[in-house]
Amino acid sequence: MSAALIDGQKLSKVYATATGPLVALDNVSFEIKEGEFISLVGPSGCGKSTLLSILGGLEEKSDGTLILAGKHHDAPRPDLGMMFQTSVLFPWRTVRENVRLPGIILGLSAKQQAARCDELLDMVGLNGFGDRYPAELSGGMRQRVALARLLAHDPRVLLMDEPFGALDEFTRETMNVELLRIWEKTRKTVVFVTHNIGEAVFLSDRIFVMTPRPGRLEGIIEVDLPRPRRTDVMRDPRFSELVFDIRRMLGVDH
Amino acid sequence: MTIQATVDMIEPAPHAATIDRFIENERKKQFRKMLLNRALAAGFGIFVLLAWHIATTGGFVHALIIPSPAATFHATLRVMGADYFWPNVWVTLQEILWGFALGLASGVILGVGVAMFETVRATIYPYLVALQAPPKIVLAPIFITWFGFDMASKIAIAVVMSFFPMFLNTLTGLSSVDPNAVKLMRSLTAGRWKTFRYLLLPNALPIMMAGVKLCWTLAVLGVIVGEFVGASAGIGYLIYAMNFQLDIAGVFSLIIILSLFTLIVYQLIEWLESRVIFWKQL
Ligand SMILES: Nc1ncnc2c1ncn2[C@@H]1O[C@H](COP(=O)(O)OP(=O)(O)OP(=O)(O)O)[C@@H](O)[C@H]1O
Ligand SMILES: [Mg+2]
Repeated sequence: MSAALIDGQKLSKVYATATGPLVALDNVSFEIKEGEFISLVGPSGCGKSTLLSILGGLEEKSDGTLILAGKHHDAPRPDLGMMFQTSVLFPWRTVRENVRLPGIILGLSAKQQAARCDELLDMVGLNGFGDRYPAELSGGMRQRVALARLLAHDPRVLLMDEPFGALDEFTRETMNVELLRIWEKTRKTVVFVTHNIGEAVFLSDRIFVMTPRPGRLEGIIEVDLPRPRRTDVMRDPRFSELVFDIRRMLGVDH
Repeated sequence: MTIQATVDMIEPAPHAATIDRFIENERKKQFRKMLLNRALAAGFGIFVLLAWHIATTGGFVHALIIPSPAATFHATLRVMGADYFWPNVWVTLQEILWGFALGLASGVILGVGVAMFETVRATIYPYLVALQAPPKIVLAPIFITWFGFDMASKIAIAVVMSFFPMFLNTLTGLSSVDPNAVKLMRSLTAGRWKTFRYLLLPNALPIMMAGVKLCWTLAVLGVIVGEFVGASAGIGYLIYAMNFQLDIAGVFSLIIILSLFTLIVYQLIEWLESRVIFWKQL
């Protein structure tokens, strides 16, 4: 199987707004292979969230074709998982109940889910916090729970919209390291939206660089840093080179 | 060993006993504060009673207009011991409970319907809002004409008055939800029912419970107003009749009994609320 898992061709999205049509995505084409870690970077308003919603089958595309695992894709599917900038935990459910929500919604076996939940809480370093309520956790811990919930129904593709964007620098870095560790173990296909260029380079196989007004895919950067990566790759001269390339592509360096 | 001992001597770890003492102190501080707050509230109550007593017994206001605290107390015993009292209480109680239950149920059902179904919203929402415009008390005389002097008309007024806040709070609660939470549920292929059951309803409960409290006070108000306008039984009817006979002490005692009853149920609803909404918002 050399065919791409996700194949988007000439995707466009136009919103009808009070001030007239707004082109959020303009003619975006790309392919994503199974097991790839892709980041979307670009300034605010360039259509990253819009593209992610279309990939999730939550938002209708205005034009173009989108194929996932060989089939046209335009509706939510249980083999996709979404994570957001805020944890979106339900405050009336304990940590464990939150992690088990996808399993309940999708009608998965309760016994398997119970075992998997403990495993996942272990994996994200929240062993022993299963019976706490979200209000009792710090922001970083809540994102860990959200990460465990993302993996609960074992989705094939993870769609993450700035999942660590609201965290402080230290927590963000820890979460990046843990996400990589989990990704190396599970090798899921990831589409990861971020504003943070360093984060994108550290995590990704390829980076889709987007520019706004209208939202276009400016270019795709191959990250040829060796794996498995530890934080010391940030000292690699190649790391800064890639960061610099992306900055130039975005037009932030003059 | 010796090194350990030296370190201990220089830098004693927070000792369990110290922590216990700290917690004990905090608890005492809080207890003292609570005691002070209670004393302040009680003191103010006594002050008002005293002012009332002096004003009425000192001849500043006529006893016919405002009876003294003692007279009110005696009137309360007299009213509660009278033959006519309990049958009238029973009538009002039934009216209030029916009005409250029906107002609550219709508010919740229509609120859920309007929030969850676009066609229901398009069809009835404009009318529900328009019907809200006139003060509902103007309906009281008409309802007496339509439904008679008995309980039905009082229940109808109570329902009309208590319905809207329950409806609006249900609708608001179901609508004020984090858009990302809705996205999450959709991404998990949750349909309308599962989204309602696992996200929208629990998310709406705090606002809905506030509606229940409003609903309760308005149901009581509706029934009493209805009994003022036209009735042959009930607490409102008694108040009206006693006022007419210039038995102001009797009126006072009925108002106090009614207030106490409303308050007790209100507290009960608040207790229920603390049970239903056991979590803290994020
Ligand atoms: N539902 C909508 N209706 C109208 N316009 C929208 C809607 N959603 C997004 N847009 C517009 O589409 C454009 C792209 O939005 P999008 O949220 O995808 O950007 P983004 O790259 O995710 O930005 P950010 O980094 O700030 O999250 C923006 O100009 C936005 O105003
Ligand atoms: Mg976004």
